Amino acid sequence: MESWEILLQQVINGLSLGAMYALLALGFTMVYGIIELINFAHFNIFMVGSFIAMWLMQLMGFTGQTHILYGLPLIGLLVLVLCMTMLGTGVLGALIERYALRALRGVSGTAPMITTIGLSYILFNVILLTTGADTKNYSNPMPNIRWEFGDAVLRLREVMLWGLSIVLMIGLHYFVRRTKMGKAMQATAQDQEAARMVGVDVDRVVIITFFIGSALAGAAGVIFGLYYNYTSFIIGYTAGLRAFTAAVLGGIGNIPGAMLGGVLIGLIESLGGQYLAVRWTDVIIFSILVLVLVFRPTGLLGRAAPTKS
Amino acid sequence: MKQSRHTRRAFNFAAAASVAALASVVGISGLHAQQKTVKLGITLPLTGADADDAAKIEHGFQIAIDEANAKGGVAGYKIETEVFDSATATAGQYDPAQAATNTKKLISDPAVVANLGPQMSGEGKAMTPILSEADLATITPSSTNPDITNPAMAATFKPKGKAIYFRTVTTDAFQGPNMANFFAQNLKVKTVFVLDDSGAYGVGIADSFQKQAEKDGIKVLGRDQLNPKEADYTTILTKIKGLKPDALYYGGVAQAGVKLAKQAYDVIPNMIKGGGDGIQGGSFLKGGGFPAVEGWYSTNAGPHLTEDPAAAAFVKTYQDKYKDTPSDYSITAYDGALVVLDAIKRVVASGKEVNRANVRDAIQTSNLKTLQGVVSFDENGDIKDRTVSVFQYKHDAKNPDDDLTHQNPYIGVAPQS
Repeated sequence: MESWEILLQQVINGLSLGAMYALLALGFTMVYGIIELINFAHFNIFMVGSFIAMWLMQLMGFTGQTHILYGLPLIGLLVLVLCMTMLGTGVLGALIERYALRALRGVSGTAPMITTIGLSYILFNVILLTTGADTKNYSNPMPNIRWEFGDAVLRLREVMLWGLSIVLMIGLHYFVRRTKMGKAMQATAQDQEAARMVGVDVDRVVIITFFIGSALAGAAGVIFGLYYNYTSFIIGYTAGLRAFTAAVLGGIGNIPGAMLGGVLIGLIESLGGQYLAVRWTDVIIFSILVLVLVFRPTGLLGRAAPTKS
Repeated sequence: MKQSRHTRRAFNFAAAASVAALASVVGISGLHAQQKTVKLGITLPLTGADADDAAKIEHGFQIAIDEANAKGGVAGYKIETEVFDSATATAGQYDPAQAATNTKKLISDPAVVANLGPQMSGEGKAMTPILSEADLATITPSSTNPDITNPAMAATFKPKGKAIYFRTVTTDAFQGPNMANFFAQNLKVKTVFVLDDSGAYGVGIADSFQKQAEKDGIKVLGRDQLNPKEADYTTILTKIKGLKPDALYYGGVAQAGVKLAKQAYDVIPNMIKGGGDGIQGGSFLKGGGFPAVEGWYSTNAGPHLTEDPAAAAFVKTYQDKYKDTPSDYSITAYDGALVVLDAIKRVVASGKEVNRANVRDAIQTSNLKTLQGVVSFDENGDIKDRTVSVFQYKHDAKNPDDDLTHQNPYIGVAPQS
């Protein structure tokens, strides 16, 4: 491999890592943007999503290592699994909001955040205890289509990952900025009392926020499984830590910021791994995070959502 | 109504009291008739990423103990076990802190005279200082990190001086280097990249492999470390692809190994790839699956046993009892349990008290014919036999995908260093 091929391959690797982190950070940062809650359960909802998708595919007869589909059946499978998983995790998120977090709304301090940590552990342990701790194999339906640039390779699954994260980011951004429900969300973000006074059903807005955020986590779970062909109860942990960092780096609450933060971290990880060493990855990522926060406490893009008065 | 309820309660009380009295009488007489018991601890990461391999080891211990109890116990003693799981959810695999906590619980039970396990050297390193203080010997069928029994590190791992960590397999002081010899002599490898999984075992075996590889004239093009919780290893694999070594050596266990194999299949499919006993087993085979694990070499820190005629009866018992195929470490586990049971027998025969110190001393002087041959230990607790066996994953469509014996056939003994 020539050095430019290595660089190109590492940029492809970095963008894929980044797209995964961004996808995971999207829903998380959106929930924060609307109700200022750091929802740590998000990352284990993501993990549950990858399991739901795996079970769905197993129900449809996709077991074993590879089960390659082409064209319409492939797209049909992906859309079906994606939609059903998003629905499943969305409902899970809405239930969590309704029964565990609504009672704590308006409670100042860290109680709601601590609750999300607790919920996160519940999800984690339920999956661990019901499915076991071994790494689960995901059946692979993606054909091995690849484009080669010298020795650097771009695979169909990378294109799928990038495409889906861009579509979801733009869709979410548009939804929050342009639709009536999105505007109600922004109003709720600004001032819940005032929003209620002008006729916004705050409870409904918050539960929908959770539904959408958790559905996005589910989408990330599906993509994770299809991309890496495995899942395990532990995947929410490292990926979650990176996605959280991505959200903070880009400006927590800011949707394009999550994308930017994710891609930056992905590129740092791959280029740092190539030109320094993989074992230094965390040191580099978190040093950059600290530096950014020292000089720009609101993150790279700041907060687009208006802050509370 | 109220009256009758009172009466009923009084009656219930009387009935309960008489049952209790009766039970205590039976209990006392039962106690007299009851056999004397001793307890053995079992500590393994039963729920982690290596759960499958840990279960195969536990079953090996259990068969030996069940057989002994079926024959009326060991020299009049019934053997009881206390099983501890040293994996935690946060680690996702074995957790040294949990292993230490379990060991503290274990030594607080005076009935426990010896321990069986651990599977992993990372557990072993956390357990040994505590075991040493309590004079409690343990026997591991699979933990291979040489530091634990290295006399130069006695202050850390056996502060009280006597060996308490016995093994029925050899150490990575032979497993890593012998595999380096195999790479150099049998596979004609000239250049290699070395990875570890940042665990005690992984770093140790990768170090010892690397050292011997350099002695054998293999050029080490690089060395890096994987975070076992990370999902994506394509960065390091791309770097390795760019360096074009003849081979990749991975020192580590299944958690990182499974993901490494899956992604290496995509990035460097034609490179020679190998590892130690951390990827020799069901966890790697099932988690990685074919075609990802195809071609990977692995080793065992002992002779290959599951196809040995001497072990045929054991293999049959195991398959009937657990509906699963045993690994070589099921057999070293069985052998380890036999060594402990034999030690208890010899303590009783010598007329001494069956306690931890005496059982330890008896284990030290073991010279027992087991399935793998005669087991005896040097003064550090290491087994005297230093065979390292090499295997290679090769898909055999005629047999089930998780049948280790057929999907990971034995190649031969690695050249001794």
